[in-house]
Amino acid sequence: MFRGLAVPANQIHDFHPPIAPSGLYWVVPVPERGLAISPDGKTFTLEMQNVPVVDQPRWPALDSIATPARMTFKMVWKSTGEPVRYEDPSKHFRFIGTRASCQLEAQVEVPSIGFSWKSDPLNTSKSDFALIGEEVNGRYYDI
Amino acid sequence: MLKSSALAWLPLAIRSANRVLGDQQPMTANGGTDPYPIPWLDKNGSHNQPAGANLEPSHIYHFKGRVARCSTFTGMGTDNQGNRIAFGSPTTDYGVMQGEYWGARAAQQATFTHI
Repeated sequence: MFRGLAVPANQIHDFHPPIAPSGLYWVVPVPERGLAISPDGKTFTLEMQNVPVVDQPRWPALDSIATPARMTFKMVWKSTGEPVRYEDPSKHFRFIGTRASCQLEAQVEVPSIGFSWKSDPLNTSKSDFALIGEEVNGRYYDI
Repeated sequence: MLKSSALAWLPLAIRSANRVLGDQQPMTANGGTDPYPIPWLDKNGSHNQPAGANLEPSHIYHFKGRVARCSTFTGMGTDNQGNRIAFGSPTTDYGVMQGEYWGARAAQQATFTHI
């Protein structure tokens, strides 16, 4: 979140899960029914409530203080139908899918500092880059 | 002589170890079921995967399944003081991965999100 232009000097909050001991980066499990995929596979809807996250306003500084916070969000990807294929044998991954649009609405709370924030409705947000599809990597790449 | 003295403590040590381990049940030791990160590091030295063309959408290695990825969000919101605050930047990225991954030496099924 930024006051003014989206540049590091204006960043006032940065919400994400902690990095796992394994190094897994800002990844958390999604509860059953958290992800809904349309029967034609062209729309993904991800909804989660009260996800434990941290607020690190000075991220990525190593000494950035992490304050416990909660995040509730809904995210919707819709395929544009334009095909995409990325593959790198040296990194053992292959992605086959389509470009997509993606929109997000969210709420965050940082109880210890009495801060909360709610986004405008889903259809007012946009992302400049989005994909949906299928991927194989690692040991599954060669199978 | 030296050998005999050096080994003289063994029976006591075994009895002691048996007392410590006596309450523990036999178990497997295959590692945890947490997924593996992608091995490559980003410019900050983290296992973070930037989103973009020709970049891998998944954050989990040894994975096969459905993925969705996005970045460069822009949007607005309001805080509890009534202040209008923008969210999103070129590095604001999210992803979701649903399918099979390898953990604890076996195939696992789950859905994960990178937020």
